[in-house]
Amino acid sequence: MFIFTLYKYKHGSSGRKETVLDLAKFVDKGVQVKLTGGRQVTGTLKGYDQLLNLVLDEAVESVRDHDDPLKTTDQTRRLGLIVCRGTAVMLVSPTDGTEEIANPFVQPEAV
Amino acid sequence: MTAQGHPMLVELKNGETYNGHLVNCDTWMNIHLREVICTSKDGDRFWRMPECYIRGNTIKYLRVPDEVIDKVQEEKTRTDRKPPGGGGRGRGRGIDDGGARGRGRGGSVGKMVGNRGAGRGRG
Repeated sequence: MFIFTLYKYKHGSSGRKETVLDLAKFVDKGVQVKLTGGRQVTGTLKGYDQLLNLVLDEAVESVRDHDDPLKTTDQTRRLGLIVCRGTAVMLVSPTDGTEEIANPFVQPEAV
Repeated sequence: MTAQGHPMLVELKNGETYNGHLVNCDTWMNIHLREVICTSKDGDRFWRMPECYIRGNTIKYLRVPDEVIDKVQEEKTRTDRKPPGGGGRGRGRGIDDGGARGRGRGGSVGKMVGNRGAGRGRG
């Protein structure tokens, strides 16, 4: 039922305040989500609410290195349809246009 | 907000940094950045992303350009110039209110009773 409610938001258009980012434009698009504790998940955004609870379909977790949890490995874990709890969501960004690049800073830490 | 549209650096508690242009933020310090470059904690890997949303409570600190700080100070002095007069008057009024409160309360109770009476009458 809870998931269904979140799904419903996909079609709802009103009543979303106090959010900096309008997630509506990410619906049905690939998003990368970083969670507190270090997990990193990509998936198709299916729904969300004002608390930033997210429903991701075909979610894939990027598995991290056992010895160094800061590093993500190429290994992945297929999670399927998941609900990300809003309080655990640290960062949301579209996968479209996200790519790893070479050091863009001539000297590090230049603003 | 003054920093809107300006580049800024956001470091998260986990050590990752995000350089980008501020699109929007709120009172929770949730931040929406455009044209972002993400740097890993040890600073050896980099990602480019068109935009990202960062939850405020994961932020360790922000770095904003000096010109934005200058602008804020400019704006602050502009707004601060008004309050000294207004603030003084406000304080004066506050003292008066202390004496007037008793009267005020009496009046309001009277009003409330009156209102209730009117309500009943209408009902």
